[in-house]
This record gives sequence, structure tokens and C-alpha cells, in this order.
Amino acid sequence: MHRILSPLMIRVLIFLALVTVICAVFQSITPRYLTAANFRGLLSAMAISGIVAMGLTFVIVLRKFDLSLAGIASLSAMTLGFVLSVTGALVPTILACIAIGLLCGVINGALVGYGRLPDVVTTIAVGSIAYGMAFAYNGGADYSDNFFSSGMVTLNFNTIFGIQIPVFLLLITALITGFFLHATRFGQSFYAAGENPRATFYSGISVQNVMIVGFGIAGALVGVAMLIQISGIGSSRVTAGGQILLPAYTSVYLGAALLGRASIPATLAGSLIMTMLLNGFTLLSIPYYYSDAVVSFILIVAIVLFDPKIVQLLKNPRRFFLTNTAG
Amino acid sequence: MIMTKSAYQNSLDGSDRCRAKSLAKKTGAMPNILEMTGIEKHFGPVTALNKVDFHLERGEIHALLGVNGAGKSTLIKILSGIYAADNGRVVIDGEECLLGSPAAAIDQGVAAVQQHPELVGDLTGYENIFLGQEGADKGLFKRIDRIAMRTKAEKLLERFPVEIDLAKKIDDLAAVEKEIIAVLHALKQENVKILILDEPTSTLTRVEKVQLFKMMNLLKNSGVSIIYITHRLEEVFEVADRFTVFRGGRTIATLTAEMAQNEAVSIPQLMLQQEMGELFPPKSRLSEETTPALEAQSLSLAGSFSDIDFQARSGEILGFFGLVGSGIDELAKTLFGALQPDGGNIILRGHTVRLPSPKAALKHGIFLVPGDRRTEGLVLSDDVTFNTTLANLRRASFLGARKFNTNRQTVGDLIEKVELTPPTLNRAASAFSGGNQQKIVIAKGLYSQSDTYIFVEPTVGVDVGARSTLYGLIRELSREAAVIVMSSDCDEVFGLSDRMSALYRGHLVVEPNAEMTRDELLSYGLMGSCN
Amino acid sequence: MQSDKQEAVSGLFSNFGLPFLLVILFIFFSSITDTFLTAANLEGLILSAAISGLLFLGLTWVFTIGEMDVSFVAVAALANMITAGMVIGGYGWPLATFCAIAAAVFVGFFNGFLIAKMRLPSLVTTIATGGMASALAAAIGLGSSMGIEETGYLEVLFDTKIGIISMVVLLTLTIIAACWYVEEKLTLGHYIFSMATNPRAALEAGIPTARITIILCVFSAICSGAAGILLAVQLASGQPSIAQSLFLDGLTAVLLGGTMLKLGKPNILGTMVGVLIIAVLVRGGALLGWSDAAFSTIKGLLLLFGVAVVVWTNKSSSDIR
Repeated sequence: MHRILSPLMIRVLIFLALVTVICAVFQSITPRYLTAANFRGLLSAMAISGIVAMGLTFVIVLRKFDLSLAGIASLSAMTLGFVLSVTGALVPTILACIAIGLLCGVINGALVGYGRLPDVVTTIAVGSIAYGMAFAYNGGADYSDNFFSSGMVTLNFNTIFGIQIPVFLLLITALITGFFLHATRFGQSFYAAGENPRATFYSGISVQNVMIVGFGIAGALVGVAMLIQISGIGSSRVTAGGQILLPAYTSVYLGAALLGRASIPATLAGSLIMTMLLNGFTLLSIPYYYSDAVVSFILIVAIVLFDPKIVQLLKNPRRFFLTNTAG
Repeated sequence: MIMTKSAYQNSLDGSDRCRAKSLAKKTGAMPNILEMTGIEKHFGPVTALNKVDFHLERGEIHALLGVNGAGKSTLIKILSGIYAADNGRVVIDGEECLLGSPAAAIDQGVAAVQQHPELVGDLTGYENIFLGQEGADKGLFKRIDRIAMRTKAEKLLERFPVEIDLAKKIDDLAAVEKEIIAVLHALKQENVKILILDEPTSTLTRVEKVQLFKMMNLLKNSGVSIIYITHRLEEVFEVADRFTVFRGGRTIATLTAEMAQNEAVSIPQLMLQQEMGELFPPKSRLSEETTPALEAQSLSLAGSFSDIDFQARSGEILGFFGLVGSGIDELAKTLFGALQPDGGNIILRGHTVRLPSPKAALKHGIFLVPGDRRTEGLVLSDDVTFNTTLANLRRASFLGARKFNTNRQTVGDLIEKVELTPPTLNRAASAFSGGNQQKIVIAKGLYSQSDTYIFVEPTVGVDVGARSTLYGLIRELSREAAVIVMSSDCDEVFGLSDRMSALYRGHLVVEPNAEMTRDELLSYGLMGSCN
Repeated sequence: MQSDKQEAVSGLFSNFGLPFLLVILFIFFSSITDTFLTAANLEGLILSAAISGLLFLGLTWVFTIGEMDVSFVAVAALANMITAGMVIGGYGWPLATFCAIAAAVFVGFFNGFLIAKMRLPSLVTTIATGGMASALAAAIGLGSSMGIEETGYLEVLFDTKIGIISMVVLLTLTIIAACWYVEEKLTLGHYIFSMATNPRAALEAGIPTARITIILCVFSAICSGAAGILLAVQLASGQPSIAQSLFLDGLTAVLLGGTMLKLGKPNILGTMVGVLIIAVLVRGGALLGWSDAAFSTIKGLLLLFGVAVVVWTNKSSSDIR
């Protein structure tokens, strides 16, 4: 049996085919789809969910869940508004926004890693506390002081090297996280700790520390995403993180389903396809609840396809059902 | 060995079997209650069972013998519906049946007690016995009458000469009590024709074993056919009527207990492919190094072992023989920093060290090849390079960045050295056979550049052919490093080690020395003394 | 010796810790405010506790067997919107409520099928099914809430009262009592807790674990759906985001309740005490003028506390591994 294409090549081709089909379908409905302006809009829309999803990738690689993202987003958005209104300077504001996300993530990681608490409930609780803390600023009211004077709003449309800042941040984040997860020894310990924490422990790697770093990255990247989102809105509000969880999970799982394993390129691929769909729906002015339903539906399809048992089923149905009851 | 006599007599005159046969004639049924033919089972590339035939007569105790990985447990899991066979047919009581699930097997009258029986720890004994069958009929909305259940359970227990408080929670019971609860649980149905016991004695003491054997004989007399799995030869003569020897996924021979008495048949030879001498590499001269590479001084861990003293030197293999539960596993993990001792010292090359984690142990040059390589040694879904470099990521990277090309070369050289087959670097660890997986773990140890290697059960689940290669590799390792081998396989420890000792219930019962016979080592490990 | 003592202390804590906390909170709010111990306040407290108790009832067992269901709020919203939409559309209350329950059953079965038969991870699966259910709920009202003018047969449940106890409360109490009976006396309850302790043992004993998982998912969805319908009656409207705030309440009640009795496993009585604690906290806090921020933080801390108690007490009683 000589294979002409490696399995990964086939997967990449499937991904490209999907992109083409989506483009073709939307282009045939609305000619505005394949325009430079829409493409720019698409990329900056992808920036927010893509950056959050890349952070989440680290947690998913560790085979854990993080449901605190929305709460952390609200807290870092409000922290951003607060620091900006007090200092009026951009640099401390940006640092504070990312730092508070990082802190929440590290707390998650410490509770899950060293405290041995279950990930789901812990992150729900931490998210809820963070959400409550977000209200503590300004009694939950919006901040919009110094947004123009400090140049906060320009973050959304200024360019660096001819690239819009949100897109630039997306690319930089992808490069850094991709390098970290796939080309360093720390990245190797992430995959090892996710797939077999015991063997990882016996290989002299502190699984607890890996947890802290993983959840920490997820939290910090929520802070980065909030920078873009808040600069786009023009004011800090507690509801800023309301809609980030579902797209982030869908991006990671869709990417993993497409490329066979959760990774940074996979998440970017998943995020791209999802954003392309959402962007198309927006152009067709389809209401938000239908696009929510589509995102949820994609998520289910993605987990089904990502599941190794399902792949097994497609290959050999009879055997799957017979061994179904084995542990 | 007094106890064995009656059991012997029993099997010698074979009166039970005669009775069973005449019974079979009367009812007009076939003499075999169970016939399995042409059973095949593969796990990925590994063939666990290769066209196995197995027949069980009515009312006999039939032992399945074989080293670990010979295929006994797989056959039994197929019979009890836990695995589905890839091929072959199963005929129970003259009827062909499809055993797709444990429930289907139970319906056919097959009751199994797995090697580590699964019980619900916080339910009582009687609740566990009747789990899944609380009342007369099955169903999710049936009222549970706990008092009736308890009475019924006590009645069931009355048949056997043991006393257990059935109202106690399982977590609070002794090992043999749990085992008996598991047997009663398997017998809760009226229609049990075949009872399977998978290595029930591995955690039992001598006295407890006798209790269990008595119970088995009582069951046999009541007409239940019993399949009894073990890798302990001596037990077979105590209790079995016939036995079948497994080797490398095939059945080698089925013999009666009388035939086994015949001098011409050597069961160990049937179980192992090679002569002992060929299996193991030649021993080395005792090391003359003065400073031991690793020394334990009255090392203790509550509930596992106490006052362990030994010295391991570079250039030799130090072997410890101990049964499951004797403390060898915990001792190895303590030396590797995964468990923290309650007392005593670990001394490396003359310096007392504290090992708070495996990380610290690796830093001090200690490497553990764990007994359960699938859950503790390897990340199965990742490839050979990934696994080999995992214990020394510092070496595999420059300023944190992975040195992909260099690693490929270094690991390539290492897998050549350990004779990994196939020698493919980007193949997932799960796709290799047990022996080759163990070679990956050894390559991982070599990559970590340690100078003290601890092996726990180095050849569990490794077929005999691959064993001698592994033993050769361990010997090779010992030329440059200190090697400690801990195993529940007496022959392995005896054949491989330059100096050996035995661990019995957490105590080192004999000073490690070179001058010990195999039988002495065996009896130290089994009974804690030599007489 | 020491472990015996420790066990006794943890036993005392697990049996009476939560009820004690409930009593303390009750006394605290009664003494610090004038209005807490009034009939009107207590009536409201009991009614809201009854409805959220019903909502989390089925959820409890799903969590007991170690699965995560986060779609319960969405199911309640879906049932709520279907009821409202169909009543406004002129189909009448009986048909509307029937369809609402049918929709809930469908979502529950879908969850159960994916989790038990396809063996997908329950959390992400229910995030996705929940997402679809709430999108559908929003789509019924085209994204906004709908007021119901017509009163229906369920109104009587709220209007008939014995003292401050309405029929809704009595009905819920009956259902809770029935569930407790199932948990304690019937095979189903026995199997649920066997599956919680050792799923392999349950499977090997021939217990239909997959079927039980599906039944529990469906039951959980029915409970959520029924609560959604009751909310439609109570508020005389359908609101697509009706139960959002109940999400955290549900998890907190179930997991906090899990610290009580049954060795750290979610159970019916525990959940109900958890529901009462949250109800007292929310009512009392509102009287003291606490903000949303305070509630969110307190609930989060309670949840973290409950989980930590379960995990850490279980760890100390079991061995090192």
C-alpha cells in the first residue's frame, strides 16, 4: 500500500475545499462577499474570537475545560476602562488588561493543578467571581473616559506595517503561541500532560506547573482579545465577554476535527471557517439567533468528527457496536 | 503442602468427573459444557489470540496456565462478553451463542470474576452481591427490599465455610472477603453453568487461598464448571482437574492433573518457549566499585514497606523478587521520588539526597522503567521521538526550542541500539507491541543519560521471544550503570540478577547475595523464610 | 485512631453542615432586616425556591453519574418560549404546554443519545445542544420577549393557596418526595449511586448504564421544561433569556448539595437544601441592597468552597494514590 498523499495533506485539502465552497456559496448570493473591504472586516472579526480560541487551545490540549473565559473577559474589560480613566495612558492600561486576565488564568491553573479541583466547576466559579468583581468597578456602569485622548480607539483601525492592529495582533499571537506549542520543549510537555499526565509526571515534568501556564495563557489572551473588542466598542462594559465562549470552543473543536488534533494551526483554520460563515450571515442580515444555532450545530458536528470512536465507526461499524460496552 | 493432599486425591480418583459424565449421558447433553473454536483477537498490530480452541467439561475445574500476555485473560474476556472476538465460534451447552456484552454472557450462564473484580466500594457486601439483580425481576423501578436481600445473601454465604459481615461496606473488607463477595456476586443468578476466576489468588495469603479452594470444590460438586486462571504452577495441582497451557496467543496442550505428574511433561517448558539458560544473558562478575551508586538506609513507607537496606553498584544487576502487594512497586516509586518515604535515607554516590519528585530523581540520574508502561511509561498517542525525548527535554532543546533534526538523529541511533521493530520514528507508541513499547521506554531511559536504572516488572505483557532481547538490553545497560530489577516473576529475577533478594510483605527478608538457589529465592518471596 | 476522629468530624460536617449554614443564614437575615420574616417575603422565597428546585431536580442525578449538563437553562428557555409563542398563536394552553414538554424531551433524549450511545464528552455536547436550544428559543420571539394575555389552566396552581403555600409549591414538594423515594428505595436510585462510585462495576453487573444515562438526561430536560412553563405562567410572558441567572444557581445548588450526605455525591435532598440556601441568600441580600456583583461573587465562592470540601475530604479518606 503506497500512499500518494499523507493523511495530513488530505485533511488540509478538505479544509481548502470547505473554504472554497463557503466562498462560492456566499459569493453567488451576495457579490459583496469576495471584496477586499469584506476580507479586511472578516479578518478583524476573526481577531477577537481567534485570539481567545488560541488561548483555549492550550487548555483543550491539556484535556481540560475553561468556562471562566466570559467572566475573565468582563473583568479585564472593566479593568481596562478603570486604568484608562485613572491614568489616561495607553501602556499601563494594556498591561493591566492582560495582567488581570493572566492572574485569573493562573488562579484557575493553581486550583486545578495544585488544588486538584475539577476543572469545569472550578472555572465556572472563578468566572463567576471575576464577573462579580467586574461589577465592583464603577458599580457596573460603562467607562468611556480617555478613550479618544489616549488613542485607545485608534487601536482598532490604525495599522502597523500596513496591517490593521487587530489583524496584526492575531498574526503575532498565532506566531508566538504556535512556536511555543509546537516548537519548544514546553509545548511538548503540554501534549504529554494532556494525553497521559501520569507518564508525564514519571518523565520528570511538573504537570501542575503546565496547568498553571496553560490556564494562564488562556486568561492572558482573553485580555488581549478584550483590548481589540473594547477599542472597537469605544467604551468598557461588563457585558463585553458575553459572546466569546461558544465561538472559541467551536473554533478549537472544528479545527481539531479538520486537522485531526487540537493545535494552533487547527484552531486558526476552525476560527477562519466559522468567521467566514458568521461574516456571510451578517452580510445577508440574518438575525443573531440563527447564526448562534449554526455555530452550535457546527460544534456538535465537530465533536462528533473529532471523536476517535466515530472515526472507528465509519471504518468498521460492526466491530464498534460489539465492543461498545468494553471499558 | 499438607493441604494439597486432599485436593490431589480428589483429582486423582476423578470421581467427580465420572459423576459429571454420567449425568451428561442421562440428560443426553454433550460432555462439554463449553466449546470455543478458532477464536481470534487482535489489538491493533498485536495478536492476542491466534485461532484458539478450548473445551470445558461439565463439572470440572479447568486451569488456564501461561505467562503474562499468553492470551488467557483475553480468552476469558471474550467468553464473558467484555471483548468481542474477531473470529471464531462459542458453543455453550450445545447452542452456539453470540456474546456481545457482559449481560448477554450472564444470560448464557457464564459468570466471571475478573482479575481485579469491580465492586462498588461504598455499598455493603450484600448490596454488591445482588447488584443488578436486587429482586426477583430486573428493572429500573423495582422496590429494593434490603432486609430480604440480606437474608438471601446470608443464605448464599452459608454454603461456604467462611464468615463475612455482609452489612459492612466493601471498602472495609479484607482482600479475600472482597474476592468471595465477587464470587457470590457472580453466582447470584440461578443459572450459572460456567464460573470464571481470573487470578483470584494474586492478592491472597496462604490461608485465604485455602479458603477459596475449598469454596471452589464445593461449587464444583454442586455442578458448576469452573475455569481457573493462574500463572502459579503449584496451585494447579491443588485444585484443578485438567489444565490448558497457553503460550504466545495459542493453546499448547491440554492435560489432566495425572498426566502432569508424569516426569516427561515439563510444564514450565511448555509455558516458556526457551530454555531458561538461553532466555537470560550471562551474568557478570560482581562489581568491585566501592561507592554504591544508590544506597537505601532503613527506608520505610507506612503500609507498604519498612526498614529496607541495600546497595546497588554500577556494573551489576540487583534483583528483588516480590509478589503483587509485597511493596516492590511502592519501593521503586519511592526510590524515584514519586512517593515520599516516612523514614530512612536514600544515598546517591555517598551523598544523602531528598527526592521530592521524579523531576529531582531524574536530575540525580535515576530513571524508572515503570511496571505499567502503558499508563506510566508512555504517551501512547504520540510518536517514538516524542516519547524518547520526554524525560530529558532540556537535552532535546536549545533555549527551549526543540532541536528537531538533532533529536531525530539521536533517537534514530537509540532505537537502533534497542532494536526497535519497526524502526520508525514517527509511528505512534500505541502501534507497537508490548515488547517494543518497553524498548521505547528503555530508549527514553538511555536518552535521559541516567546512571541508575530501576525496572519494575520489565517483561509483563511481553511475549517470550521479545523477552530475551529485553534481558540482553538490561544486561547491556548494567555495564555502565547500576540496574535494579523488581519483579513478581521469580525466574526473571533469578535468571537476570547478579545479586538478588526477596521482598515479603514490605520486608527485605534476606540480605542481597549472589549465592542463592532459585527455590530459596522463591520461598523467601512466597513465605518470607527459607525452609 | 486519628482517622476515626477525622471521619467522625467529616461525617458530622457532611450530614449537618449545609442545613446548619441554612439556619444560620435564615437567622442572620431575620434579625438584621425587618422585612425578611414577613409572610409576603417568605411566600415569594418559597415560590422561587420551588420553581428553581424543580429546575435543578433532574440535573442532580445527571451530575451524580458524573456527566455535565449545561443545557438545562436553555431547555427551560425553549419550553418557556414555545409555551408563550403557541398560546399567543392561539393554540391554547394544553397543546402549548404539551409541545413545550415534548421539545424538552427531544433535547434531553438527544443529549442522552450523544453522551451514552455515541459516548461524546458531555460538557461540550451540552454546550452545543444548549446553544441550539437557546437560539431556537430566541428565534420563536424573533429575539425579543413576548407577553401572554390569555390565562390558562395552570393559573390555578399559583392562585390556590393554603396559607402562604401555593399549589405550585405543594406539587413541587410531591415531585421532590417522589424523587427521594426513587433515590432511596428503588433500583434506579441504587444504580445511579453505584454508577457514581464505580461505573465499571455497574456495567459488569449487567446494569443498563447507557439506558439509565438517557433516562436521566430526559428526566432532567423534563424538569427544566416544566420549570420553564411555570415561569411563563408566573411572569405571563415568554423570555428567551429567562433563566440565565439560574445557570450558576443550578450548578451551585447541585454541587454544594453534593457535599451533604452520600459521600460527596449530588443527591436530591442536598440539592434542595442548596436551593434553599441560595433562595435565602438572594432574597435576604436583595433586602440589604446587595448588588449583582456581590451575588455573583458569593455564589462563585460558595461553589468553589463546596467543590473543595468534596474533593479534599474524599482525598483524605482514601489512600495516597
